[in-house]
Amino acid sequence: MKFIGIVGTNAKKSYNRMLLKFMQDHFQDQAEIEILELTDVPLFNESDDQSQSPLIQSFNQKIMDADGVIIAAPEHNHSVPSALKSIIEWLSYKLHPLDGKPVMIVGASYSVQGSSRSQLHLRQILDAPGVNATVMPGSEFLLGRAQTAFDDQGALKVEGTVNFLDSCFMKFIKFAGIVAEMNVPDAVTYQPGTYEVTAVGHNGNLPMSVTLSDDRIEDIQIDTSTETKGIADVVFDRIPKEIIDGQTLAVDAISGASMTSNGVINGVAEAVKAAGANPDALKKRRAAQATAAQNITDITTDVVVVGAGGAGLTAAAQVLQSGRNVLVVEKFPAVGGNTVRAGGPMNAADPEWQNKFEAIPGEKHTLTEITQIDEATIAPEYLADFRALKAQITNYLKENEDQRGYLFDSTLLHRIQTYLGGKRTDLNGQPIYGQYDLVKELTDHALESVKWLEKIGVEFDQEQVTMPVGAIWRRGHKPLGDQGFAYIKGLQGFVTSHGGRIMTETAAEELTTTAAGKVDGLIAKGANNTKVIVHAKAVILASGGFAANTKMLQEYNTYWTSIDDDIKTTNSPAMTGDGIQLGTGVGADLVGMGFSQMMPVSDPETGELFTGVQVPPQNFVMVNQAGKRFVNEYGSRDELTQAAIDNGSLFYLIADDEIKKTAYNTTQAKLDAQVAAGTLFRADTLVDLAKQINMDPAALTETITNYNAYADAGEDPEFHKNAFDLKVEVAPFYATPRKPATHHTMGGLKIDTGAHVINTDGQVINGLYAAGEVAGGIHAGNRLGGNSLSDIFTFGRIAATSALNEEVTVPVK
Amino acid sequence: MKLVGIVGTNATASTNRQLLQYMQQHFTDQATIEIGEIAPLPAFNEPEDRAVPAEVQVLSDQIEAADGVIFATPEYDHSIPAALKSAIEWLSYTTRPLINKPVMIVGASNGSLGTSRAQTHLRQILEAPELKALVMPNVEYFLGHSLQAFDEAGNLTDADKAQELDADFMAFLAFIELTAKITPANKFVEKNQQFSWSQITDGRD
Repeated sequence: MKFIGIVGTNAKKSYNRMLLKFMQDHFQDQAEIEILELTDVPLFNESDDQSQSPLIQSFNQKIMDADGVIIAAPEHNHSVPSALKSIIEWLSYKLHPLDGKPVMIVGASYSVQGSSRSQLHLRQILDAPGVNATVMPGSEFLLGRAQTAFDDQGALKVEGTVNFLDSCFMKFIKFAGIVAEMNVPDAVTYQPGTYEVTAVGHNGNLPMSVTLSDDRIEDIQIDTSTETKGIADVVFDRIPKEIIDGQTLAVDAISGASMTSNGVINGVAEAVKAAGANPDALKKRRAAQATAAQNITDITTDVVVVGAGGAGLTAAAQVLQSGRNVLVVEKFPAVGGNTVRAGGPMNAADPEWQNKFEAIPGEKHTLTEITQIDEATIAPEYLADFRALKAQITNYLKENEDQRGYLFDSTLLHRIQTYLGGKRTDLNGQPIYGQYDLVKELTDHALESVKWLEKIGVEFDQEQVTMPVGAIWRRGHKPLGDQGFAYIKGLQGFVTSHGGRIMTETAAEELTTTAAGKVDGLIAKGANNTKVIVHAKAVILASGGFAANTKMLQEYNTYWTSIDDDIKTTNSPAMTGDGIQLGTGVGADLVGMGFSQMMPVSDPETGELFTGVQVPPQNFVMVNQAGKRFVNEYGSRDELTQAAIDNGSLFYLIADDEIKKTAYNTTQAKLDAQVAAGTLFRADTLVDLAKQINMDPAALTETITNYNAYADAGEDPEFHKNAFDLKVEVAPFYATPRKPATHHTMGGLKIDTGAHVINTDGQVINGLYAAGEVAGGIHAGNRLGGNSLSDIFTFGRIAATSALNEEVTVPVK
Repeated sequence: MKLVGIVGTNATASTNRQLLQYMQQHFTDQATIEIGEIAPLPAFNEPEDRAVPAEVQVLSDQIEAADGVIFATPEYDHSIPAALKSAIEWLSYTTRPLINKPVMIVGASNGSLGTSRAQTHLRQILEAPELKALVMPNVEYFLGHSLQAFDEAGNLTDADKAQELDADFMAFLAFIELTAKITPANKFVEKNQQFSWSQITDGRD
């Protein structure tokens, strides 16, 4: 038998520690007792989860591996010490190693009570559902007046006491054996057949059929046609495989797709139940987990890319196009990063194409406003471009004075809008705007990126020019297919079919350098405890930002008055700033780190973007919880966020049935599913809609009446909405609840126009490149919607090109 | 009347804090309620030099200056949170401001039981000789389903629960006045007696 003994106090001097040491020695022929100390265990705090820390994990693993646990606790204030309570809380919050584990309680105290009250409390605590230990009844071992109980060798002096401890311990050994039998899973038999069940997926229910034989789960088929492509694909491959391989339901959810993972597991459980077996028995069947000794994989390649999102895969594809080798390491099980979560359209000025579309009301007004900007407010390096743009606009307006005209655009308009959009001042009065050379690089080459993607195999919709929320102008090139996944699908296909290697579940942990300081590879932690050592001529960091790392956001934040601890994010949970840490580890400088962007229109519960109805702002009305408009729907993300915060965060997008014709993601079936899921409200009258969302019906009706009148007039006297399309007049009406969530981090590694990472002395770090959200300097205080995709595809290509030119090209012999 | 309400958790979001904030507002005519936080306190580790951490001193001074103390505790694993236990251990081991201090216990939890088991433990703990608090008998205030209990303005949405709290609070004010009359005269002596668990051997248990 192997037991864990826990010293139930963090005090330096403890008779309970002496008691456990005595037991360890005295019972060495009967059992091995390993003693664990609480000295370094942090005080439990549910707002600062440390379940994954090495220390808590070590307690977890050791207890899971043991046949039983002995807790030796003193009594403080008639109860257990806070230090002991704290470790129990850690082991009952996210982890539950004590579930069903045999536990023996002993206690020593100075007083004659010998921890009597503390032991009763401890029993009640261990009985709590989150802990659910199996505590041995009876045999209470209370050691009173402990200061007189031990001899110099640490042995109990009184023979009667030792005899009683012997009998308690022998009983515990027996008890542990019996409990172990109780924990043996029952044999499972099924009524054979194929069972039709449903799994709850991200976007609603997924029909699933599970085939069972007498004693095995034979097959799991899932109809995934309604699920967002990309995010959960790996779930549908892996979870069924793990369930079938291990004949168990104790499989871990996939990081980043836990909801869909659990949906599949619960669906299979439903089938198991329908077949007359107990799913709990399968949930207890731990698949044998390989904790083999660490394997080391050594790989040599031309270029290694960190992160398999849009930027990383773009860089990889560019390397492959030059006939060179590339390895992409990705810490998550699935590729795609944040790109699969993007709405789809990327910004690139393409006047030849855009001019084919008619201008919409309000756009001329927006252009006129740009020409009226005071030149004194324009940064000197942008002034020449600004003047050239003014001339372009003046010509356009003159040319179209008497007609509606076509949709105007130019590289200069894109550049100036990116610059103006990024201009911000933080709470310390520190102004920021996009670095001119980087913004120029981005806007000059964005259209090339569209053309390059087309060659890679990404098809764009030529029939519509779109504008995502916060984009300011209609220059979005929207890929055909599923939103952001369309890019990843094309890029991943190209990379794998051209010999590129992508290692998922491989997290880069440090960069390696030569003695001269050139980056020459990295060390990563791979799946199943492997260590991956990569030697490369160049390293490209494309691991994204840190919007999913609330602590890091709060640490650097200088822009928002505060960032809530429980703020949601629109991002993949992978976006924890890893590349920024890797870069600073080799001396990289950081730029603009205090500025982060909130997505004002996120799902209030999940932070997701793709619930409710996704329509361009000319087609909906934003109202607060009182049913009143509160902002120009075309406002920048910051204006929208601040306005939302000022109005109690939660607000609604009101639209009518006509949105189906314009919405990015909307079919009748999807709308119905969202209404059923409660992420979208629908009613045949505005009054009923208002009632559903606890809004004053009169206020909402008045707001909509006014709005429709403004749309007819093409002029919004209240909030000066830039452009109108749909009114709200065709029933049924829809209300989508929204709240701000963290969305983009503009700050990051300092780079130059060649995507070289710059160190704190202003010098290029040889061999190291960065592209996408991991880098800073371009978007400054605020990123325009649709510009992140332009950024990743443009700088992803630039990083690869620089690396190829400088590090990989073989010198002519 | 001057009271201190101690938030029994170190979590950033807490309906027990909300409950105390509600009481602070709602009973503003009857008493001044200051909110005491345990989140800044270090974990108790029985230091041999008995030094009082500055954060513990702050909380202790708040209690010392108050006519009575309200504990608002969540329930973790059938008992009070380790963070609250740790704060109480500091107070019992160092400054002992709770001696003969009238105490009211309330608790909010998202489950339906509303911290019933934690409150029973807390009573037993506060009655330990190292603490010697005067916990108001007879009155138990449990706020179950606490995540739904408050409206946007922070008021209790259930009129019955609000009324019950009114009555309990009036009882506490009366209890404070009553205990002032029966508080032993040796309060001063008790306070200056330094306590340690190793001294219980002297038969003070």
